[in-house]
Amino acid sequence: MKSAALSIDTLREAIASLPTKHQEDWKYTDLSPIAHVGNQWLDRGAEFASSSDIPDAGLQIQQWIDAEWLVVVNGAINEQSLAAMNQPGVNVTRRNDSTGVLERNTPLDDLNAALSDDGLCICVSANTEIERPIGLLIIDGFDSPAGMSAVRIEIDLAAGSQARFVEYHTSSGAADHYANSVISLKLGDASRADYVRIQDREKNHHQTSRMSVNLGCDSEFKHCAFDFGGKLVRNDLNVDIANAGATATFDGLYLAGGHQHIDNHTRTDHRVGPARSHQEYRGILTGNAQCVWNGKAIVHDGADGTDAEQANHNLLLSASAEIDAKPELEIYADDVKCSHGTTIGQLDETALFYLRTRGLSKHEAMQVLTRAFAHAIVSKSPIDSLHGVLTEKIANRLSGLMQEADK
Amino acid sequence: MLEIKNLNVSIGDSHILRGLSLNVSAGEIHAIMGPNGSGKSTLAQVIAGHDDYKVSSGTVTYNEQDLLDLDPEERAREGIFLGFQYPVEIPGVNNAYLLKAAVNAKRKHQGLTEIDAFEFLKLAKEKMALLDMDPKFLNRGVNEGFSGGEKKRNEILQMAMLEPSLAILDETDSGLDIDALRAVAEGVNALRSPDRAIVLVTHYQRLLDYVEPDFVHVLSEGRIARSGDKSLALQLEEKGYDWVREAANG
Repeated sequence: MKSAALSIDTLREAIASLPTKHQEDWKYTDLSPIAHVGNQWLDRGAEFASSSDIPDAGLQIQQWIDAEWLVVVNGAINEQSLAAMNQPGVNVTRRNDSTGVLERNTPLDDLNAALSDDGLCICVSANTEIERPIGLLIIDGFDSPAGMSAVRIEIDLAAGSQARFVEYHTSSGAADHYANSVISLKLGDASRADYVRIQDREKNHHQTSRMSVNLGCDSEFKHCAFDFGGKLVRNDLNVDIANAGATATFDGLYLAGGHQHIDNHTRTDHRVGPARSHQEYRGILTGNAQCVWNGKAIVHDGADGTDAEQANHNLLLSASAEIDAKPELEIYADDVKCSHGTTIGQLDETALFYLRTRGLSKHEAMQVLTRAFAHAIVSKSPIDSLHGVLTEKIANRLSGLMQEADK
Repeated sequence: MLEIKNLNVSIGDSHILRGLSLNVSAGEIHAIMGPNGSGKSTLAQVIAGHDDYKVSSGTVTYNEQDLLDLDPEERAREGIFLGFQYPVEIPGVNNAYLLKAAVNAKRKHQGLTEIDAFEFLKLAKEKMALLDMDPKFLNRGVNEGFSGGEKKRNEILQMAMLEPSLAILDETDSGLDIDALRAVAEGVNALRSPDRAIVLVTHYQRLLDYVEPDFVHVLSEGRIARSGDKSLALQLEEKGYDWVREAANG
């Protein structure tokens, strides 16, 4: 939530400083729709939501997914969820000092800071294992005047601790909205984080999310991201490996139709070895959807013993869907194992025919094959209790995409 | 049951079937033999409904219906089964799921309720035992990582579960060792019945030692060059396909 200390001028400046397509990292993603939403909102007086009450849709998600939920509504931290947080070994504090919680590295971080001087800090004590996932429900729009919102969260896992997180973004409402989230995750030595991000925003809403991860010695980070909704979505996942023995696995699935634009950028810095980073992103696109996967791995000088693997597979169900897939490997060390692979294709006609000769309709056969393609990512998702929820969401979204593909 | 008249079929620019005619009645087993490229697999694919194959003339009637009017799934539900020469690997789709979906698609078409889970499992395990298949195959991806023999057994398992009226087995015997060949043959023989017809498409006589056909047809250059009983297969084995070609042309 924004305090009076932050000015309209700062906001206007932050919006004007958003990256453009001339910058390499933004080549395929045009942020001008976000600037447009922001400027219109500023012209209307930049009203922030006054309530952090949880809409029904949010309550449903809380019932649907078992987690200890912290809720942020239109950028405002829901006090009750904060007060109710009761996990031994987990300490959640509010970081609403005006200096801002996180370092600012990008124009999107600046915009985040201009939108909010509030934040959360979640600390997990050393050598504790938190079994029940900690939920971060980021929910926007609904009855509030739409505009912009931001959330900033810092997560700190002390040495030897283990915790699981579900980050769930959802929104609703006819008016255009833009949500900005910046999350920092620090893993202490020999700690472990299992992390699932789900994005299911309204079809006219935009999102940028940035997560930066720092891994300690022998720590393990498992991340799985699912993008279902939104109009213009850009997710940045930056993984920094500066300590030996660290392992990072991050996978993702994006399902897009209509005029959706979903961009997943990952950047991995291998500064020392041995260490491992493996990623696999998959996408199913139809209509005029445009998606981007850009996986950058930099193996710095001296990071011998690095094992970096990247894969990106896409199914295009319509002629006008577009995927821009770009693996980028920069290797400055000698003893490394790096690989990348990208595929873009249609559904396998032979498999479709095979299923039809077994009595499945063409539509059913397409559903079976697309679900199987998507399921490869669900099965990698590190929180088993979410598999049912994810499978259901994927089936629903895919049947929507199939209907679109049939037209 | 199946009546093919003067069938002409092309794929791309090649004209493969050239005036093929064949009648198959309930209770019969037919073997269709012939050299590579004679059109055996094309015939199997056309009956199953593959739309890469274009029918330029001729008719295919199945139980008094125009078969060429039906989609592949409609043909399957009406009781036609094609055992693939190269069964397709479908990673991520559970074998049990496909079997059940296939059985239920047919049951639904027949106006029956879906098979219940217990009944399904019992039936599947029974059929797998007959084919000497490990029940673990039920929980694997369809044909995913299966050996050649396992894939063919899996085709026969699907056939056994679906109990088709007309089964066409396209080179089901190719690439099988003797144990797998016996298991497959046993599966086929178990399905022999007065109200069912089976068409074995094969290059070699080997399978016919285990599954005795009522009729043997030799395909050459897109049509049936010669028909006879099982002794024709033995003659072929002895004299080779050139003999039929020469006889047909002479």
